[in-house]
Amino acid sequence: MKITFPHMGNVYIAAKTLFDDLGVEYVIPPQTSKASLELGSLHSPEEMCLPFKIMIGNYIHAIENGADTVIITGSCGPCRFGEYCELQMNLLNRLGYNLDFIVIDSPGDIGLKELVTRLGKVSTGSMCNRMDKLKAVLTAVKVVNLIDEVEAKARYLAGFEANKGECKKLLNECKNKAMDCNNGKTMIEHLKKYIDKLNVVKLDHSKEPIKISIIGEIYTVIEPFSNLYIEDKLMDYGISTKRTLTPSWWVKNLVLSPTNMNQLEIKRKAKEYLPYMIGGHARECIGEAVLAHEEGFDGAIQIFPMGCMPEIVSKAILPKISKDKDFPILTLVVDEMTGEAGYVTRIEAFVDLLERRKNHVLSRC
Amino acid sequence: MKVGIPKGLLYYEYQPFFQTFFEELGAELIVSPDTNKDILDKGVKYCVDEACLPVKVFHGHVSAIKDKCDLLLIPRIMQQRQREFICPKFCGLPEMVVNSIPDMPKATMTPFYATSKEKLFDWAKITGQEITHNKARLQKAFEAAMEHQSKHKTGFDDKGSDLRVALAGHPYNIYDNYLNMNLVKKLKKLGVGVITEEHIDEDIKIKEASKLYKRPFWSFATNNYGFTSHIANNGIANGIIYISSFACGIDSVVIELIKHNIGDFPFLILKIDEHTGEAGIDTRIEAFVDMLERRSC
Ligand code: SF4
Ligand code: SF4
Repeated sequence: MKITFPHMGNVYIAAKTLFDDLGVEYVIPPQTSKASLELGSLHSPEEMCLPFKIMIGNYIHAIENGADTVIITGSCGPCRFGEYCELQMNLLNRLGYNLDFIVIDSPGDIGLKELVTRLGKVSTGSMCNRMDKLKAVLTAVKVVNLIDEVEAKARYLAGFEANKGECKKLLNECKNKAMDCNNGKTMIEHLKKYIDKLNVVKLDHSKEPIKISIIGEIYTVIEPFSNLYIEDKLMDYGISTKRTLTPSWWVKNLVLSPTNMNQLEIKRKAKEYLPYMIGGHARECIGEAVLAHEEGFDGAIQIFPMGCMPEIVSKAILPKISKDKDFPILTLVVDEMTGEAGYVTRIEAFVDLLERRKNHVLSRC
Repeated sequence: MKVGIPKGLLYYEYQPFFQTFFEELGAELIVSPDTNKDILDKGVKYCVDEACLPVKVFHGHVSAIKDKCDLLLIPRIMQQRQREFICPKFCGLPEMVVNSIPDMPKATMTPFYATSKEKLFDWAKITGQEITHNKARLQKAFEAAMEHQSKHKTGFDDKGSDLRVALAGHPYNIYDNYLNMNLVKKLKKLGVGVITEEHIDEDIKIKEASKLYKRPFWSFATNNYGFTSHIANNGIANGIIYISSFACGIDSVVIELIKHNIGDFPFLILKIDEHTGEAGIDTRIEAFVDMLERRSC
């Protein structure tokens, strides 16, 4: 059995640790690229949302590299995401691949026993005892938190760094070298080392960088290929960015949601504009926009795939927030046709606008 | 008090309930006209670009009556069946509308759960406050509304014609004749009868849908998957026409599930948006009917 899974930002780093520690064989799909998207689009229904198509590309690439078992998440994501598994299973079967599927669904839907059985399937090849298996899972959760921390730090400090490009260099280095860590222990050490390194990056405190919050549909904000590497681009412009939706946020949200204790702050902030959970992460998007303004960010960028139902609702609401709070918000809709040139122009124009506003305010005081 | 009722989206399903409720409370009803070019254009103008046509048209209906009423009904339909969901655009509909259309009167914002009588009464109690605080009156209006709703029969079940197609899709695509360009009439003219999902027992649909690996996430998926599956397996109609709108996330999934399930049972998908030309649709319907005719003899 060789397991594979779709990409979503840094998830592969945590997954690698998990499978390494469990001692099961796995294939990490090649990093998402144009080739994954093209392959996915070729085989996917035209009107499916972008994440679906990219995932199909990931699966097929992984299968070509020897994977024979696919992990798919079920209804863990609300919205169409919850229906992905059935369609993806049908589709891959139709393409003639002989595969096993492990569908990770919420216990509320399939029962806790079934969930444990399915999770057990993941570790059938593992020689570990139960204790070690549990430990492997906990380590993987720690890894996902750490890598998200590295990423968040690097993205935020990029606006303040004294030597241009240092944060980006460290971040890339950290991710590349992570692939050489062959167990949870070294991975954690490695990530911690990079957090330390980022902590001592030389900063120029006289800088007042533009700060942008990245909000929108969870997959397209997390998976860098799907948003045309927007965070890297902003880093190059010397802009600090922040993003709340991350794989570690998702894990925390999943664990906490039955207790209703998650994201109280965001819910509170969203209340005035969107008081109900409507599906997807629209409420988070609205709450984060309000929060970003309160935290002194200069603007926000909303990203979502074409046809994304919940984010279309957010998009209708954001202009009101923008107007009420005098807070610029740019919306970017991505799909397989998105051209790099037009996209970059829009980002640059937005950054220009934020710069002008900032200078204007500064010159006034 | 003048209450505005836009003739869009699930108006077709809940119209008796809403109308009776407000009428019984003594409100004057301002119902928007049937969808027309002007409504469509206004909808396209005000609504977020990326939205589907039915949501845009709903915006058009609102803009047609907003200046004539004191309270606008924008149903926030959250759930129709336990443990199933509904399109996010319904749940966020009031926010979409009030943030997109300028100079709006007061709109109803209360969530509407059609899962039980108690839940529906919760909606009625809160929404009715706009008109009266008298509990007995609210209760009476609510009972009357439920009564009318229970008698509400929609759908087609034409018998007697040689050919019959099952018409699948969201109710607003099936019943808004401007949106679907008089699809049912066109079929009749070609001598084709129509059957819709309402005429198949709920239990049958749920049972069919339960054969899926994963329980459907949306009520709409259960209904339409169950319906088409039953039709195809039992040869209840000669073919299926699915009327859908571009940019409908739910249809994109349901259509795939159906395609996978019914094999080579005749299946025509008509997708509409504001740019769809009638001539093209006509040609496709005619070709499909020709094909059904050839198959049946
Ligand atoms: S939230 Fe958007 S992108 Fe995600 S499944 Fe739903 S429609 Fe697709
Ligand atoms: S179900 Fe489809 S057609 Fe209906 S509102 Fe939602 S996206 Fe639009």
